[in-house]
Amino acid sequence: MKTSLKLGLSAIAMMAAGAVSAAEMGATDEPIKLALNEWTGQHVTTHVAGEMLKAAGYKVEYVTAGMMNQFQAIADGDIHATLEIWSSNVSDEYAKKIEEGTVVEIGDLGLDAKEGIAYPAHVADLCPGLPAWEALKACAINFATAETIPNGRLVDYPADWGTPGADRMTGLALPFKAVPAGSEGALIAELRASTEKKSPLLITFWQPHWAMSAYDVKFVELPAGEDACFSDPAWGPNPDAINDCDFSPSRIFKAGWSGLADKWPAAAEILEGYQLSVEAQQPMMGAVDVDGQAVETVVAEWMAANEASWKPVVEAATK
Amino acid sequence: MTLTRGTKAALIAVIVGVMCLVLQPYFAWLGKWPAAWTFPVNEWLSSGVGAILDLFKPVARGLSWLLAFPMDGASWVLGNTPWPIVIAATAALGWRLGGWKMALLGLFGLSFVLISGYWAQSMRTLALVFVSVPLALLMGLAIGVLAFEVPRFRGAVNATLDVMQTVPTFAYLTPLLFLFGFGPVVGLIASAIYAAPPMARNVLLGLERVEHDIREAAIMSGGTRRQQLLLVEIPAAGNQIMVGVNQSLMAALSMVIIAAVIGGFDDIGWEVLLTMRKAWFGQAFLAGSVIVVFAIVIDRMSATLATQRQHYDAKIGWIILAIGAILAFVVRIDPAEIALLDGVADVVDTSVGAFTAANGAALDSVKNNAMFYGLLPLRIGLDQAVLPFTWGFQWQPSYSLWFFAAAVALAGLCAARGRMLTGLTILLCAGILETGIADLPWPFVLVGVCAVGWASGGWPLVRLCAILLGLILLSGLWERALLSLYLSGAAVFACAIVGGLLGFWAAVSKTAWVILRPMCDLLQTIPLFVFLIPVLMFFQIGEFSAFLAICLYAIVPMIRYTRHGLTTTPDDLIEAAKSSGANTWQTMREVRAPYAAPSILLGLNQTILYAFAMLVIAALIGTTGLGQSIYLALGQADIGLGLSAGAAMAILALIADRLVQGFAEERRKALGL
Repeated sequence: MKTSLKLGLSAIAMMAAGAVSAAEMGATDEPIKLALNEWTGQHVTTHVAGEMLKAAGYKVEYVTAGMMNQFQAIADGDIHATLEIWSSNVSDEYAKKIEEGTVVEIGDLGLDAKEGIAYPAHVADLCPGLPAWEALKACAINFATAETIPNGRLVDYPADWGTPGADRMTGLALPFKAVPAGSEGALIAELRASTEKKSPLLITFWQPHWAMSAYDVKFVELPAGEDACFSDPAWGPNPDAINDCDFSPSRIFKAGWSGLADKWPAAAEILEGYQLSVEAQQPMMGAVDVDGQAVETVVAEWMAANEASWKPVVEAATK
Repeated sequence: MTLTRGTKAALIAVIVGVMCLVLQPYFAWLGKWPAAWTFPVNEWLSSGVGAILDLFKPVARGLSWLLAFPMDGASWVLGNTPWPIVIAATAALGWRLGGWKMALLGLFGLSFVLISGYWAQSMRTLALVFVSVPLALLMGLAIGVLAFEVPRFRGAVNATLDVMQTVPTFAYLTPLLFLFGFGPVVGLIASAIYAAPPMARNVLLGLERVEHDIREAAIMSGGTRRQQLLLVEIPAAGNQIMVGVNQSLMAALSMVIIAAVIGGFDDIGWEVLLTMRKAWFGQAFLAGSVIVVFAIVIDRMSATLATQRQHYDAKIGWIILAIGAILAFVVRIDPAEIALLDGVADVVDTSVGAFTAANGAALDSVKNNAMFYGLLPLRIGLDQAVLPFTWGFQWQPSYSLWFFAAAVALAGLCAARGRMLTGLTILLCAGILETGIADLPWPFVLVGVCAVGWASGGWPLVRLCAILLGLILLSGLWERALLSLYLSGAAVFACAIVGGLLGFWAAVSKTAWVILRPMCDLLQTIPLFVFLIPVLMFFQIGEFSAFLAICLYAIVPMIRYTRHGLTTTPDDLIEAAKSSGANTWQTMREVRAPYAAPSILLGLNQTILYAFAMLVIAALIGTTGLGQSIYLALGQADIGLGLSAGAAMAILALIADRLVQGFAEERRKALGL
């Protein structure tokens, strides 16, 4: 009875997943190497995927790798997949490797991310009118520092992630100067110091991120980021410039070694079908970063409690 | 009136500076090097080096495959040996090297690593050091012997060693990654490259210092050249070579952490990066302290190799090891479960936060004052930095005229009193302060540096400076190079003054040295990243934080060498001064200070190199300039930009090094050393 129910479920899952058929397992005696990058959310994402592969009967090895530097390793087949790439923060090398055909994209992760211009909640008192972006015009001087005078200071992403914050300020003609942060740690330190000192701070930030709740970070409301905004100057509040709107929604996706599907066909299908939502990832991140639990424990608990959300993907590929 | 070389050089610089100031409004190309005059060096390098790398890739991959064996082996052995045995083995080694003192150092040091909760990661770091250091030592030995045996190569070898030490590691990580593939082997090779030069230099120095009669004896006893070298000269140079071993170990350890940026090996450096990324200062500091402890243990133990030592009974070493083995059977606690210091880390973390919260206003005012009255004028000049918001009034063009007039008057006064050089220096400083380093016209910088080069080392140095600076101009990195020059220049200046004073204090007072010495040790061994943490928390992103981080690291050699120079004045000189009736202060000024000058200049030289090394790391807290370019290139895997920016950085460091060494050499000759 139980088995037939299971079969029925997996049949439904199969249909839902676009009728993927079961695939060959491939080289199950060789470990599949998954990249662990520098941030906790990615660790959660990767461990869930790894556990799914293990449930399917594969060996999995986690390899620490710098986000920016991992693509050469993936192209060489030293690492076989990386599971949380942010379109807003991907090196040119990725595009090169995709073009070479040595790295292939394996679909969206389903993580619904948002990037934007943000501030810790107490800053609303220092700049009345927030979260509406127009408020920033008048109170820019409150955000001024020695380096940006007479403009306000916007702490932007590290230089190697691009300059989205600076683009917004130019687009919306706001009197802010963007200062690149240098690293993620520097961004967090800014948030933390601002919260502790109750000092003004405008920062480029994103969610899901544990700091969003830890420092009660709010986004500034900007005009919606439609395609026209990035190509047509006439669009939006500033008739003379593009980028006078919010960030375009960032895509979060997975990528793997080009030989992945040949060597481990079923694993490739599992990783392709793998989805993780913000609602699932965010509490796990909190359990790791705020409560100090180990990623392995947190993920194991989640896997046990949420079989329905991952098992069908595994079974569709293997049975 | 005859002019000294220094005065002539300063005069030339002043003339070019004035010409630039006057002509700049008419010729825009005098101020900024036109973009049309640059070459796409980055693209050339990317494609050129890319092709070369492609050629060597198979060989490198083979080497990488080979190196993975000792790497995995060392990692496996250290990872699977029970921790009581590892600790006991360290203590036993300590006993053999230096008796109870070293044994206890090993015991307490490794026990700290154990209770920190980072045992597994630390053992991986140690494995990396164990494999990379022998590699570095072999490389260093080979280079040193080659330079000694074939004097023709010596110049080239020295230049190569300089390049190995001054090109920032971040700049060559990307090509290494491409060549050797992903994984710990890249970190291993990067640290071996960085750790080999001190070994090579000390081998060469040691061989050069082997006494003549020892050498003669070896020749007379009729051995081949190889036998002479291996059996007589290298053993005779043993102590100096051991100094090299010690320095190699320290260099490798510091580099292992930097190489963690690319990952591939879950080591202690990766742990420091992870915790820093979350701005967990307490934890990052704890992980950083583990490295400091390693550094201290390795440093002190290997330093005993370089000195004459007593014989310590091997039996006691075996007994210590046996105790460890027994403990390993009895105590079976997983080191991952031991994290006794997490509470301490939390306390550090919250107290840093509380301090920032309580003193936010004071910290901000320190930062603002330093920026308004120090760093900003230095970077963009008084004409742009003086604003109603900063100084309370707006700078007018007429002020510039008054400012220059005052400088000229002061300079004239000095010249009239026969201090021509001082007067010219005042003029130069006034000009730089009014314009700002980042806005200096390139002909002035080029001619100015060459003129100083001429005063310091004559025409060969002028040629070197002109060619190297010309390369930066042509590559289009000039503006970023000036920004780097400004930040490291400001830091070096501050270090020279503060460090010089501290060194002086340490020379006159024993208590001062007791306080300063452990601080110097700590600042030199802590991984560079960890400096950024408190600085970042107190002063946030920006140039002031970067400036402080650079100062913290670069001040140490200045203190050490100043003290060393002042305290090693030969006794007979001091006696002679005393007997001719000089008091302490006069002895200091007239005898000790001139005698210490070469040593102090050497300290300044080291401070400059340290400042440039830290500049790249400081890019993590948002500086602009070459450091940022190098970091950006690492992120984007842009081989061309990484190499050219790294080369520009090395060029600046090399020029500063040569200039200071030229002056030091002159002082040494004047003193007859």
